[in-house]
Amino acid sequence: MKKVTFILSFLFLTGCSELRVFQPISEAGREQAFLIKYGFWLMMIVLLVVTVLYVRFVIKYKETAKNKEDVPSEIDSNLKLELSWTIFPILILIALAIPTVMITYENSPSAYTKEEGIDIFVTARQFSWEFEYETGLSSVNELIVPVGETAVLHLTSDDVIHSFWVPEFGGKQDAIPGKEIVYTITPEQVGTYMGQCAEFCGIEHTKMEFTAKVVSMQEYNEFLTGNDDQEEEGGK
Amino acid sequence: MTIDHLFFPSDVIMAWIFTAVSIPVVTYLILKYRKMPLIWEYLTTTNHRKIGTLYLLFGFLYFLRAGLDALFMRIQLALPENNFWVFQSDKYNELFTTHGTIMIFFVAMPMLLGLMNVAVPLQIGARDMAFPFMNALGFWLFFSGAALFNMAFLLDDAPNAGWTAYTPLSTNTYTSGQGNDYYVFGLQVSGLGTTFTAINLLVTIIRHRAPGMKLKRMPLFPWATLVTGVLIIVAFPVLTVALYLLMFDRLFGTQFFSGPEGSPVFWQHLFWIFGHPEVYILALPAFGIFSDIISTFSRKKIFGYNSMVIALCLIGFLGFMVWAHHMFTVGLGPMANTFFAITTMMIAIPTGIKVFNWLFTMRNGVIRITIPMLFALGFIPTFVMGGVTGVMLSVAAADFQFHDTYFVVAHFHYVIIGSTVLGIFAGIYYWYPKITGKILDRTLGKWHFWLFLIGFHLTFFPMHLMGLNGMPRRVYTYNRGSDLFELNFISTIGAFLMGAGMLFFAWNLFKTHRSAQIVSNDPWGGRSLEWAVSSPSPEHPFEEKVPVVERRDSFWYSMQEQGKTEETEHRRPGPIAVKTIQPFIIAMLMMPLCIGLIYGWWWLAVMSGILLLGMFFVRMMTDERKQLYLSQGGG
Repeated sequence: MKKVTFILSFLFLTGCSELRVFQPISEAGREQAFLIKYGFWLMMIVLLVVTVLYVRFVIKYKETAKNKEDVPSEIDSNLKLELSWTIFPILILIALAIPTVMITYENSPSAYTKEEGIDIFVTARQFSWEFEYETGLSSVNELIVPVGETAVLHLTSDDVIHSFWVPEFGGKQDAIPGKEIVYTITPEQVGTYMGQCAEFCGIEHTKMEFTAKVVSMQEYNEFLTGNDDQEEEGGK
Repeated sequence: MTIDHLFFPSDVIMAWIFTAVSIPVVTYLILKYRKMPLIWEYLTTTNHRKIGTLYLLFGFLYFLRAGLDALFMRIQLALPENNFWVFQSDKYNELFTTHGTIMIFFVAMPMLLGLMNVAVPLQIGARDMAFPFMNALGFWLFFSGAALFNMAFLLDDAPNAGWTAYTPLSTNTYTSGQGNDYYVFGLQVSGLGTTFTAINLLVTIIRHRAPGMKLKRMPLFPWATLVTGVLIIVAFPVLTVALYLLMFDRLFGTQFFSGPEGSPVFWQHLFWIFGHPEVYILALPAFGIFSDIISTFSRKKIFGYNSMVIALCLIGFLGFMVWAHHMFTVGLGPMANTFFAITTMMIAIPTGIKVFNWLFTMRNGVIRITIPMLFALGFIPTFVMGGVTGVMLSVAAADFQFHDTYFVVAHFHYVIIGSTVLGIFAGIYYWYPKITGKILDRTLGKWHFWLFLIGFHLTFFPMHLMGLNGMPRRVYTYNRGSDLFELNFISTIGAFLMGAGMLFFAWNLFKTHRSAQIVSNDPWGGRSLEWAVSSPSPEHPFEEKVPVVERRDSFWYSMQEQGKTEETEHRRPGPIAVKTIQPFIIAMLMMPLCIGLIYGWWWLAVMSGILLLGMFFVRMMTDERKQLYLSQGGG
């Protein structure tokens, strides 16, 4: 029964709190979740209009014993109708385009750093992730970031193209060999989240997973100074 | 060296056993039923209907092969942390690579080209395709490219870099086997054939229409074919170039897609400058097929013909301006992301116009629910669902989440199966009388339709949710407790329903083949000229009786008003039908040429190259007109 409500909840997208994309822990993630829901609802208007017309026409004009021999009168076109289904979608798309442009412009990672924050150098390689922190300390397949602080991830790759993705952080960003791309994240909630390579990268692409731990500033500092020997994978 | 290195894995061994058993069986059946003359007939034909039939036949065979790939993938994903047969890691990667590549290049495209070959010349009142020899060559090049691509599996070296073959993974540094060379050469050879056929279709439509068949009087399937032809001619050279560069990177150590000067992102640009128009190359013909079918079975002319044509052209044009929406997560920056988000949204407008025009064609009509119409009725809501997720994906910032997840997998299956595959089925049911002279069975057709459609939604609807729940595409398993099991399990059940639907279709083909019925010229009450000729269509249609077209859907109106069609006795020149084995030989020579290049057996490549040039010379020296003039008593 839980699964039925789970699927129905998508249809109404109100209580879809279970899907990971809708549990964002960052501003960017929230904006993206909003855009997904907003786009979904706008599109539901279109789908509804089409479905109503479709069901009505198919039922009403279905061949019956009575109209079997009829030859319907010809209609060439109708300017008013045609204008309405040209202009109406344009209006819907404008309504969608405005927040899209605003959020995309702000959210698109690029090669230049805009924000100040804690620099972490992320190197993807077949089939693991290495995270190097400001102190030179590094960890493999485990990213540790402090809560409430902006982390500036410098993504690059040693071999093929990979993609950094923690659904709760927000969208993904490719890691490309020979190029550095900056991805910023300000997590707002302590916890452990699953991350995964999202760009097909070879034989064990499936297993290229990592955990992203959002910890308190104090724990983060302890980790950096090496006081917490559990987290440490060896200095560099 | 372990024992694994000495033997092929069991799936490849199964394929060898299957091949070893089926070759003698098929040979025996051919000899027993004396089918050798028939096979020779089809090897040497240049007739548009026969070549169309070949396209459809081999497209269908590859559909079964790639469909089997899909079922293996769905079994592997049915349970979390599953280990089905050998399909994990590299074997799974090979599965989705061959599934995608075969479905796009060796199923969807050839089957659409097959339907165009069968229907378009008849619909515009042409006597054959403009260049019959090149038409045969186009088909055999597809055949040879597809055979080459599929050969790789039997050598346990199937391509494994995804159908998009992203560099640098697809360069020989990271995939050192020969598998991806087969990808490069298979697509190159069949792409050449596609380009030939596109040129042929364009020239046929521009030059060989019946008297009075102005462009504005053409049915919408030829219109869609015309626009598709232009898209192929513009988009395929880009793929050709991309594959050439990749070939040089793989075989001759150049660094177009890696190193300090090259960039792996170049490949993505080239691939999607081809790849996005390719989506419309698949969708537009289906739109054309559905336009004709919906109009015929609503007993009304198409609503808003002009805007339908303008929408086709606009979609084709905008299709070239959206390629980077496949690359939102590459890091092209805010400007590029925004630009391509907006252009992508714009495509929704002409597409929406088409959907409403279809709906309003049905309005006030008499909707006859035949099997082709059933597929059209299944198409509209399915395709609209795929369309709206397409608009959702165009929102660049939201796409950061959607990208490369099962949400995208759901979206493109909704549009490609929803339009192209349903369109191909609708077209086959609709034009089957013109291909074979028989009508496919209605009851089995219903089984096929309902199993396939219900199975389809069961398979792909849950994938939207998997994607939003964090499942990336192209993974061979997922963890227990990741809340993905139920959705995946439903999806697998759906895939098997689709498979069952295909069995009904195959049974239908077999049963209809065994029946003796031959239908009249016009079994459906059609509107365009293909229904003026006998079923199956004759080798030389419109030769003696040239139809005269006075308005759109002229055939329908003159049948309504006079019970016969307008004709003129003025015969016109037409393409010359020949019987020739040359196209087959030329295409087959491409195989040793490519194999020579793939394995570096230069002597083989050079020898086949010389033979190929020799064949060009032979072709150059052949003038079909000469024989015709002589036979007509000239000199």
